[in-house]
Amino acid sequence: MTMQYLANPTRFLRLANALLPYLWALTAGLLVIGLYGALVSSPPDYQQGETVRIMYVHVPAAWMALFVYSVMALASAVALIFRHPLADVAAKTAAPLGAAFCFLALATGSLWGKPMWGAWWVWDARLASMFVLMLLYLGYMAIWAAIEEPHRAAMVARIVALVGFINVPIVKFSVDWWNSLHQPASVFRMDGPTIAAPMLWPLLVMGLAYTFLFLSLHLVAMRAEIAARKIRQIQIAEIGER
Amino acid sequence: MDFAAAHAGFVIAAYGLSLVVLGGLSAHILLRDRRLRAAARRLDGERGDTRA
Amino acid sequence: MSLILALIRRDLMLSIRQGGGAGTALGFFLTVVVLLPIGIGPDQALLARIAPGALWIALLLSVLLSADRIFQQDYEDGSLDIMTMGPVPFEMVALAKAVAHWLSTSLPLAIAAPILGFLVNLEAAAVLPLTLAMALGSIALSFLASIGAAVTVGLRRGGLLVSVLVLPLYVPVLIFGLSASDPGAAPGLTFAALLILAAIALVSLVLSPLAAAAALRAYLR
Repeated sequence: MTMQYLANPTRFLRLANALLPYLWALTAGLLVIGLYGALVSSPPDYQQGETVRIMYVHVPAAWMALFVYSVMALASAVALIFRHPLADVAAKTAAPLGAAFCFLALATGSLWGKPMWGAWWVWDARLASMFVLMLLYLGYMAIWAAIEEPHRAAMVARIVALVGFINVPIVKFSVDWWNSLHQPASVFRMDGPTIAAPMLWPLLVMGLAYTFLFLSLHLVAMRAEIAARKIRQIQIAEIGER
Repeated sequence: MDFAAAHAGFVIAAYGLSLVVLGGLSAHILLRDRRLRAAARRLDGERGDTRA
Repeated sequence: MSLILALIRRDLMLSIRQGGGAGTALGFFLTVVVLLPIGIGPDQALLARIAPGALWIALLLSVLLSADRIFQQDYEDGSLDIMTMGPVPFEMVALAKAVAHWLSTSLPLAIAAPILGFLVNLEAAAVLPLTLAMALGSIALSFLASIGAAVTVGLRRGGLLVSVLVLPLYVPVLIFGLSASDPGAAPGLTFAALLILAAIALVSLVLSPLAAAAALRAYLR
């Protein structure tokens, strides 16, 4: 059991240590290009003026909130099927990152909504489903925090993540339904169906930058979590020796 | 970016908030990683264990 | 099959004999419904407009509040341990307990809701659709609650955590339940909402025994 546990994390750590410098460099480069596109080269919107620039930090954050939850669910499924401890580490460390992106999507959405809608919060379908996603992240993190024994926490957290993942499209569907009943007049759309190229490329580059930022931070957080587990194992072994 | 435009404050707030949250999270994760790996190495050393 | 029925019967007997089951949940339901007009004022027109939503939210909270009892006692006295070794598949045990919770708590609440509706000026035309929607929706509510109950069964303060975990799962039930309870909606819309509620109930019926049994096993190892 111990050998099997240590073997793969060692290989993973070697890979992570080799990859991380490149990931950080890529993140930094993409951020610089993306921010240049977002703040300097892209034109202000003819309707929204400069406010449209919030899109370049809002939409990527919303993408990442969904993407990270998928990563978490996938890792949980792998952990459930193959009983691989590394997958549990991946799911556990992804959650706070996803929650941060989700929070940013909500907060920047609110900052965008105030000048556009005249209100800090409008109960529109997308905001509502993003809010539910935030609750799912918080619930998942609460499970890890509440169960002391790590192996048991991992087993329970897998189930919570997967049930939540099944729930996400159902919530999306129901909230769209609810929105169509309650808001017949169409509100301003945050990302219109067509975006002109000078606005599209900064958005995509910022999306990529956020993705690589997540990948870098995720690898570092996994590395730290593996170290934390190793410390715990050594401490338990020492108590056993006494 | 025209800083004198209407609602420019909202744009600055959105970028500033993103910077604070993502920067703070990055710093927290990097510091935790450094601290835990150092602690793990120290414990390994005390036990005379050479595995990294 | 008869073993599963016996299990359901046992749980029903227990919840009736011990009290604190359906009775307490009903009392809580009543309290929320009574607090509402006090909180927002006695305007009859306003109350009539928000009555279905208020009753649905009171139902969700009452079901949630009684959720931690689904597995707690059998976990603490070791009955669940024995059931993992019994002839009934453990998923079926989880299913039986959720069914017992539905019969003993959620369904009585759903039936009581339209009666309590008179306290919040529920329109007469809304009584039938609301009862139908709640009877159907309460199936999903009990099953989803059983997931939350299983996931937190060994925790000292699981009650609050159950709410955080289960409320996001209740959002679709709430939305389609309210949609089906609206007497002013087109008949086709009401029917569609009822069908979707039934679909959600079926999905939760399949999903929750699997999830609950897996979570319980984590605590019982």
